[in-house]
Amino acid sequence: MTFLQLDNIKKTFGELSVIKGVNISASKGEFVVFVGPSGCGKSTLLRMIAGLEDVSSGTLSIDGKVVTYEEPAKREVSMVFQSYALYPHMSVFENMAFGLRMAKLPEDEIKRRVSEAARILQIEALLERKPRALSGGQRQRVAIGRSIVRNPKIFLFDEPLSNLDAELRSQMRVEIAKLHRKLGATMVYVTHDQVEAMTLADRIVVLRAGLVEQIGSPTDLYDRPANTFVAGFIGSPKMNFLTAKVSGADASSLQLEHPAFEGGTLSLAQGSASKVRPGDTLTVGLRPEHLDVASATPLLRLTADFAENLGGSTQIYARTGDETVIILANGRPELHSGGPITAGIDPRHIYLFTLDGLAL
Amino acid sequence: MTSITPPPQVRPNRGYGRWTPFWFLAPAVFTLFIIGIYPTIFALVTSFRRYNIARPRDGFPFVGLENYTSVLTDGTFWASLFLTGQFYVTVLPIEIALGLVIALLLHKPGMGFLKSLARVTLVVPLATTYAVVGLIGRLIFNRDFGVANWFLDLFGIGALDWLGSQTGAFAAIVIMDIWQWTPFCALIFLAGLSMVPGEIEEAARLETSSKWAMLKHVQLPYLMPGLTALLILRSADVLKLFDMVFVMTRGGPGSATDLVSVYIQRVGFRVFDLGTASAQAILLLIITILISRLYIRVLYKEVN
Repeated sequence: MTFLQLDNIKKTFGELSVIKGVNISASKGEFVVFVGPSGCGKSTLLRMIAGLEDVSSGTLSIDGKVVTYEEPAKREVSMVFQSYALYPHMSVFENMAFGLRMAKLPEDEIKRRVSEAARILQIEALLERKPRALSGGQRQRVAIGRSIVRNPKIFLFDEPLSNLDAELRSQMRVEIAKLHRKLGATMVYVTHDQVEAMTLADRIVVLRAGLVEQIGSPTDLYDRPANTFVAGFIGSPKMNFLTAKVSGADASSLQLEHPAFEGGTLSLAQGSASKVRPGDTLTVGLRPEHLDVASATPLLRLTADFAENLGGSTQIYARTGDETVIILANGRPELHSGGPITAGIDPRHIYLFTLDGLAL
Repeated sequence: MTSITPPPQVRPNRGYGRWTPFWFLAPAVFTLFIIGIYPTIFALVTSFRRYNIARPRDGFPFVGLENYTSVLTDGTFWASLFLTGQFYVTVLPIEIALGLVIALLLHKPGMGFLKSLARVTLVVPLATTYAVVGLIGRLIFNRDFGVANWFLDLFGIGALDWLGSQTGAFAAIVIMDIWQWTPFCALIFLAGLSMVPGEIEEAARLETSSKWAMLKHVQLPYLMPGLTALLILRSADVLKLFDMVFVMTRGGPGSATDLVSVYIQRVGFRVFDLGTASAQAILLLIITILISRLYIRVLYKEVN
């Protein structure tokens, strides 16, 4: 059942259109992540769900109730801000209790809920402190605690981890995932970090320039990206794209031409090959982690350019003409800059896109 | 034991001598000394002596605390001090309340141009000299052609002799003080309101839809330092308020607007009893300092 529904939501600032008609639905208990480059409108969309930003047109409903023009406090959502936004003059306890006080809950119920949340987040020892006496990670926990105690219908997270250092970020990421499992709550999470999106989400919404590019599970987006934008955004290092010419196509197979291909051509068994005709241009997508430099049957012949040693693996930058191909190789293969390098790939891992960027 | 020779003291060539900073400060310190420190010391010394410039033959004899005892037993002094207190507790709450309302209105999003226009107009009363405020007041509250009576006439109320009646005159100086100082309160509060981080206000909006709760629990803590400064400045200012009242009413009619500084001025420059006037001024200074300390202790708290 749909719990959160965004129906043709639009947002304009004067002449400028920021959200250009977005439809998203999420079911109860789902963890939805909005991801996209900066300026894609993901934060605006989240703030519209919270009610902090007016909706220009469209309908927004939460738990079967239309709340498009409802005041933020009446939507029963809570939000964790990027800057944590703790009340600086209140103790941790007061910060967490504020919303409950405003809702006029009895004092013993407030105490019970705050100490329960503090226990879950392991901040019991900090309850008397002021926010300024807390570290970044502790503030983050308090901010999450403040949203837990209210028992909201939806948790909203606006890039909550971006102010933390790398180690703390991955630690908190795991904790948020655990929290989601424990509370079973509906969560909407905004990030520009595709790793956070992949690891946390039940469903990812990829946004670009105010429009939804694709909605799907992390695996869906990784395995079956709808277009080159999603393909390039999901996965790290990002997918390599080569522009190839179709030299032959029939019902079940496809021949592509590119100077980097072994022997100049690549032959694929492709069911959807009927859509293309010889002479068309296609974009070939290859994920760096799928390329194998040690393959006995190489498909690509490239020129090694540069290698970054990551310890357990090596990120190789190779050239073919003007195009660069990144390869993520296990171990530390012997390489010479300017020397030849070959790479194989399982043909099932080759992605094809039309020149417009749509998946074939 | 090895002895460590200290490294030779190398003085960096700073391009200026040791006394150069002193000369930069000197004009300010000198001016402050002439107009602030010296008169205060002179008043303090005078307050312990008999000094009547109308009777130079009496000289300048030391009289101990005589001036102070005569001031503290002077009913008129207490009456004027009490009147100043009345004035203070009348104008200040109104100025603070009105200032806060104006600041909250100006803090609301939207209507950018009108708001910046309003902000500029707030500065106008502040930029007006007290004496001019008094002159404006005399025009506004003139019985025959003042705008105050014209306004009352709109509501069918007959002309009042504002400056000629006891309550009217007091009301008139109250209104002029509110006119002059409410914008100042508004500006201070507006500055405080804009100190509240946007995300904190938003976090609160998610938890309560009550504007009052927002003001009380979220915005007020950011307004307290400004409020403290405001109370201190206004306290000092009301206690020494002279020019506006003097121009408008000269302390009258009767003693209806005889604020303490108007009274001190009369003792000093009509009776020429500078010893007593100095003692009164020093007492006033002590009261100002005490009130300021009280406000700082009770109200002042940094948010972060």
